[in-house]
Parts: sequence; structure tokens; C-alpha cells
Amino acid sequence: MKMAEISKVLVEGDQALLKQFAEEVEANHQITIIKHPGRSLVMAKTRDSVSRAPFYIGEVLVSECTVSIDQVYGLGVVMGDEPEKSYHLAVVDAALLAKLPVTEQWMERLVGAKAALDEKRRWQHAQAAKTNVDFATVEEFGDDKR
Amino acid sequence: MAYVTVTGGQTAIQEAEKYVKYMRIGQAETILDLNAVQGQLRLLIDKVMSEGGLYAPDEAALALKQSEGDVMEAAFLLRAYRSTLPRTHVTSTIEPDDMRVIRRISSSFRELPGGQMLGPTVDYTHRLLRFSLRKESTSDVQEFLEQYLPNIAPAHTVTSMPKVVELLREQGMMEAKLADVDEEPFDITRERISYPAPRSARMQMLARGETGAMCALAYSSMRGYGIVHPTIGELRVGYVSMYVPHPFAPEDPDRALYIGEMLVTEVESINNFKQSNEGKPVMVLGYGLTIGQNELKAISMAILERSLDTVGTSPAQDEEFVLTHIDCVESSGFVSHLKMPHYVTFQSEIDRISQSQAHYDSKDKTSSIAKDAVTEGAMEHV
Repeated sequence: MKMAEISKVLVEGDQALLKQFAEEVEANHQITIIKHPGRSLVMAKTRDSVSRAPFYIGEVLVSECTVSIDQVYGLGVVMGDEPEKSYHLAVVDAALLAKLPVTEQWMERLVGAKAALDEKRRWQHAQAAKTNVDFATVEEFGDDKR
Repeated sequence: MAYVTVTGGQTAIQEAEKYVKYMRIGQAETILDLNAVQGQLRLLIDKVMSEGGLYAPDEAALALKQSEGDVMEAAFLLRAYRSTLPRTHVTSTIEPDDMRVIRRISSSFRELPGGQMLGPTVDYTHRLLRFSLRKESTSDVQEFLEQYLPNIAPAHTVTSMPKVVELLREQGMMEAKLADVDEEPFDITRERISYPAPRSARMQMLARGETGAMCALAYSSMRGYGIVHPTIGELRVGYVSMYVPHPFAPEDPDRALYIGEMLVTEVESINNFKQSNEGKPVMVLGYGLTIGQNELKAISMAILERSLDTVGTSPAQDEEFVLTHIDCVESSGFVSHLKMPHYVTFQSEIDRISQSQAHYDSKDKTSSIAKDAVTEGAMEHV
């Protein structure tokens, strides 16, 4: 699983798992907080369908934290006022970048968390799909009635 | 124009603040819970975030509570709050084509690859006051959920939905899709705008414009004060994933950090044809994309974006006119400033009109000098 995908599972998945990962790192390594969790902004850049060039749609309020483990920096950035979550994400990011032994046990649980997230997304898709519609013109509707 | 500071009234101002607080909560039986505001007034929250230019549902709910439901004041509070925070990242380019769609309709084609999905909408229901909501309770909610949720089972797959305009492109009815460009966009929050504006600045200004102002201008174009009256090729509402490049591997998309997903509304409109570069008549795309579910604004954006590329003398075709008048913080701020003390400037107007009247009374009332003096006074006021 790529790092980008892991971060998605950790942000959107069960928060207990993220906390558990961070605690496993904390139990075995010295964590130095470089930048305490705090609020900041991320500018959202998106694409214009006509010109196919990017433009800024607006900013997003995020919580952000930076830590280091054995001189390896980890960054946690997450939407909303989530200081603890940004700290946990930073710890996990540093642990993964430092390839700490503790992370070797994580993949199976991450795969499980991703499967749960995928199922949630498929449920949400089914919820929207309940409103699928086939519009017919009045003439066609009349044909059906006949 | 010069300004003169006024002072005094500190006690009165403090009492006015208390009076506002009394009006807000002094007679309330229950205090407005922010979770309730955020959860049950979602379209209002979306509007405040979109016009404030900041995706922050919790803070939008707080701003609405503080402003007693005044949308422009709430947008102003968000805009003011964002100015106190550092900007630490810019997302990787969000591709709206990859949206997790919850609503998708087309008024151009009945049958679309992937189908039409009404999603959360009241477009086809009776829009009458539902008096039963007066006594809506948590047990009603529970009862609804018990009936609604068991009927939804996870889909086997999430169906992908190609864009409707691709159908037109395949038939040669619309110009070919341009190649993606990855230039740095103009940022209206950091750079001073001048006209003609870069397209990215125009899109950013439209994206955080005020819904009512944009709707009015788009409506004017459709009514004949302009030439844009499109068909909706596709309207989508859904969630887009946001990633920031990892600072230690900024060029590697696989190392990007996911920060969350944002609800957006996207409109691709189909407009009257023009000649392509080869001279062939083709239809023209218009585009709107806004924060939150705000379909009126996204459609208006698509109309105005297109209208600003047409030539004419109508307000909706004038870039500076449209873009400088749709920002709710600027327009409401300027109109509201008239409430602030203007004692010195007004006293000077009194002095001028007194002089003009004295001059008028001392001369022949039909003389051009007297007329000029009065006209000058009136012009000064304007």
C-alpha cells in the first residue's frame, strides 16, 4: 500500500487504529515534537474543465503537527480542529518514513481498515444509487401504458 | 477622501453589545447547539463556507450562531478568522472528474453512461411548508432511520461516471478537450487584481462570490441582458479527495498526505455554438465549481464564466463589473460603512449647500452661475 493510500485509510478509517499505531511507536521510541499541533490553512487547488488549467477554489482549515523520531521528521495534516489526530498522524508518518520495526506489523491491520473504508464507500454509493432515475418523455410513458 | 476619528460612547457601545446578547439568547428556551446548526442547516453552512472562501464546517456553524443567522456577517467572520492563520500548504491539483458522486443529473441527455442520480434534492417534491416538523423529535429520527437504513446494502462496486460532455466530443459537437496545464494559478488572496484578469483569478473570484449577486447577474444574462442561456450538460454534487505534497518528497504523488474530502458542486453547461479553430461550428462549454452543495451558485458561475468571454455591453459581459460586485464581504462592507459616523463630511456638505443657496438667493435664479453652483453641490454628494 502506498503512503498516500495509507494516509487516507488513517484519516478516514477507524480512529482507534490510528491511536493504537501512535501508541505502539510511543512505547518504543523517543518522540520529539518539532511543531506542536496547531491550526493552519491549506489552499485547495482544483482544475477548470474549460481551460484545463488549475485555479484556487478556497482554503481549508486544518490541524497540523510535526514530530521527529531518531532525526526523521513526520508530518500530520488533517482537515478540521483535530490536534490529537494531527499528532498521531505525524507520529505514524515519521515511523513509516524511518521504517521502524514496529511498522512491519501494521500492514495487515491497514489492509483490514482499507477494506472497511471501501465497504463504507460502497454503502454510500448504494445510498445515492437508490435515487437513480430513468426519465421518460410523456409519449414514451403513454407507449408503456399501452 | 479624508477620515476623521470620532471618540466617545464607550459605555453605550458596551451596553449595545449586551443588548445584542440579550436579543440572541436572553429569551431563548434552549441554547442553539453547534452540532445542530452544522448538521441540520447544512446548505446554509455550505453557503457561508463558499462565500467566506474557507472550508471549515465547525467554524461556519459558530459564525452563524454568533451572527444570529446573518449569512454575510458569518462569511465576513470566517474571512476575518482565516486572515489570522498561516497558510502552510497548497493541495495537489484536485481533479473533479474523480469526485465521489452523490448526485448527478443532466438536462441535456436522458440516458447517460453511469445513469442519472437525483441524490439529496427537493427539486421534484412538493415544496410546501411541512407543519409536522414543528414537533419533530429524536424518536421520529430514530423511527426514520430504522426504516431507511436497512434498505441500503453496500454496492458491489462504485460505478464510474464519465463526463456527459465527452458524448458531445465523441460526436464532434464540442471542441476537443484541451491538454491539462499545470501552471501556477493567480491567487486573489495574495495578489492585487487588475483587469482584464487572468482566467484563474476570474474562476477564484466566482468560486467565492455571493450566491444572490451571482444569481441576479446570471438571470440578467438569461433574460436578454447578455447572450448566455445554457443547457445543463451535467450537474454533480460529491466529495473530492484532498492531498498535500509531502514536504520531504514533494514530487512524489505516492507520498502525498491525504487531509480529508470536501463536498463540492460542479456544473458543466452547454452553450450556443461558435466556430472552432478550423471554422467548424461547435458547442461551447461553461464551468462552475463551488464549495459545498450550492447548485444555484454553481449554475450561475457557469453562466457568468461563459458570459464574460462574450462581447457586448450588458453588465453580465463586463468582467470588472461582475467580479468587483459579487464579493459579499466587499459589497456588504462598503454599503454598511454608510452607518458609521460621517459627521465631518456631512457638515461640509451642509456648508456647501448653504453657500450654494446663498449664492442662488443673491442672483437671478435662472442664471447659469446659480445652476452650476447647485449642480456642483449635487455632483459632489454623488
